Amino acid sequence: MRGTLIYIGQRLVLIAITTVLVSSIVFVLLHQIPGNAFLNETRQSPQTLAAELHHYGLDLPLQQQYLNWVQGVLRGDLGESLVNRGVKITPLLIRETTVSATVGFFALLVTVGLGLILGVIAALRQNTWVDYAASSTAVVGYSIPSFVIAIFGLLIFGHYLYIWTQGTFFYQPGWGKIEQIPVPALALGLPYASYVARLTRASMLETIRTDYVRTAWAKGLKARVVVMRHALRNALIPVVTILGPLVTGIITGSVVIENIFGIPGLGKEFITSILARDYNIVIGVFTFYAALVGLANLAVDVIYPVLDPRIRY
Amino acid sequence: MPGGTLNAVDGISFDVDRGEIVGIVGESGSGKTMTALSLLRLIPEPGKITSGKILYGEQDVVQMSDEEIREFRGNEVAMIFQDPMTSLNPVLRVGFQVEEAMAAHNRFTRQQARDRVIPMLQRVRIPAAKDRVRDYPHQFSGGMRQRAMIAMGVSNEPSLLIADEPTTALDVTVQASIIELLRDISRELRAAVILITHNMALVASLCNRVIVMYAGRIVEEGPTRAIFKNPQHPYTWSLLRSMPRVDETTRERLISIKGLPPDLGKMPPGCKFHPRCKFRVDRCLTEEPPLAEVDPGQDARCWVLMKNVQNPEAIAQT
Repeated sequence: MRGTLIYIGQRLVLIAITTVLVSSIVFVLLHQIPGNAFLNETRQSPQTLAAELHHYGLDLPLQQQYLNWVQGVLRGDLGESLVNRGVKITPLLIRETTVSATVGFFALLVTVGLGLILGVIAALRQNTWVDYAASSTAVVGYSIPSFVIAIFGLLIFGHYLYIWTQGTFFYQPGWGKIEQIPVPALALGLPYASYVARLTRASMLETIRTDYVRTAWAKGLKARVVVMRHALRNALIPVVTILGPLVTGIITGSVVIENIFGIPGLGKEFITSILARDYNIVIGVFTFYAALVGLANLAVDVIYPVLDPRIRY
Repeated sequence: MPGGTLNAVDGISFDVDRGEIVGIVGESGSGKTMTALSLLRLIPEPGKITSGKILYGEQDVVQMSDEEIREFRGNEVAMIFQDPMTSLNPVLRVGFQVEEAMAAHNRFTRQQARDRVIPMLQRVRIPAAKDRVRDYPHQFSGGMRQRAMIAMGVSNEPSLLIADEPTTALDVTVQASIIELLRDISRELRAAVILITHNMALVASLCNRVIVMYAGRIVEEGPTRAIFKNPQHPYTWSLLRSMPRVDETTRERLISIKGLPPDLGKMPPGCKFHPRCKFRVDRCLTEEPPLAEVDPGQDARCWVLMKNVQNPEAIAQT
């Protein structure tokens, strides 16, 4: 237990370092993109532009700007939006992160839930039509990128469903209602669910042939107990291993999905802020993403020893 | 062999009485393990029992429903497997795995099962059993794991215990103590034991009766004493002859039986042992001998029989 806490502490320090590195790299690169937040189609006098830049400290040398930013971060203040005057970034990003996390959580639910169920069923019915159906669905699901699934999702649930039900029941892009969660969560989670299904199937096939599962049968345990307690529990271990990269994939995938479905989350902000050259927000979004990926992976690693007693930190 | 059938075990027939210890010996691939697994209907896919009967008292194991066979396994007949390293579930506590074996059947309630775990572990002589119940298998040594397997096997006081090479994966020093434990505990329970092994010394010290298998068939069967003293099948004779002996220090090489057991897909006609047999006659090549009584209680599947061979040692060395 003590070891685990020390381990978590070490990892948190590493995540902090990673986040700092990511933000500084982004900071440097971001300023290499031509243009800035105050250039627009309307003619501006050079004086106004200079005044704007000066107001936000953008006329200072880059190192100085970075140091100023870091000072702000240490106070928990990521600065102000350059485009929308007076909008504080920290609360904005926290709000957007909860939106993204909600979609991500349900996507993960789809991924793990659907993946495990399909994988286990395919393994238990190996080489029957059930297995072939589940396995080929998985291959198809894995081969189609989530933005394609998203567009078909829009078409089917937003358009056709509207026509079939004559406008009484359909999906409306956007955010704020519970019924707006399933379609994006499915689009985001399905490709990964296929991946989990294939891995679970392979892993289950391996464990149901192990000696200890044979022992479980020989003890006279009920089939359900043998499968769930003895086979699945062990088969889950490799599945949990890929959960880290998977969560990362879901987080990055949300950039595309949120833009397609118009969800006001971190992913949508990611694109809009870059296009608007809203420096402070871009860096903030990247910082949040870096921390999120780090924390998600940490969470997975903490689950590991719960599942496999041979692993101790 | 797509679509084909291979008989790993063919026409096996034997009885085991209460309190008896029967040894099944033979080379790897001779069908010993398949015979044992079939007694509990645990043959791995895609194998199956195509015909025959397995009688436990009046009940036929082959005809049992899924629920009947489940209640039968581990309760009436328990099995101890070859490799204790892989036979215990790595993610469950040892104590729980023993408890689960008892709770699976009607014999004990969940609470009784829980209370019996530590006494069971003590009974199989696991030191500091009270502290070790909460250990995971990887915290146990090989010998202790096999003890835990035995605890699991005997926890429901079965009347038949099948031990499939219970000591093969263990250190020699540990082997003896495991065998001793197996013998003592089967005596206490008045349970019959089927011991599957290729260790002839083990058979000699432990078993009342021996069944020798070759290529999925019983080639010789009888009381241990008779088999060791007067083996009648050339295979049994050669197996015994290949046992290393402590008192003969001068012999430079271990004796082996030349050749390999036949491939299941390419069984020779006639006696299955004839390609490796030094004593074969023409009839062996074409006609498979039946398992026939050679002495009271002793049967052998051979046209020749060793008692009819003059000076077998000289022939064997050619």
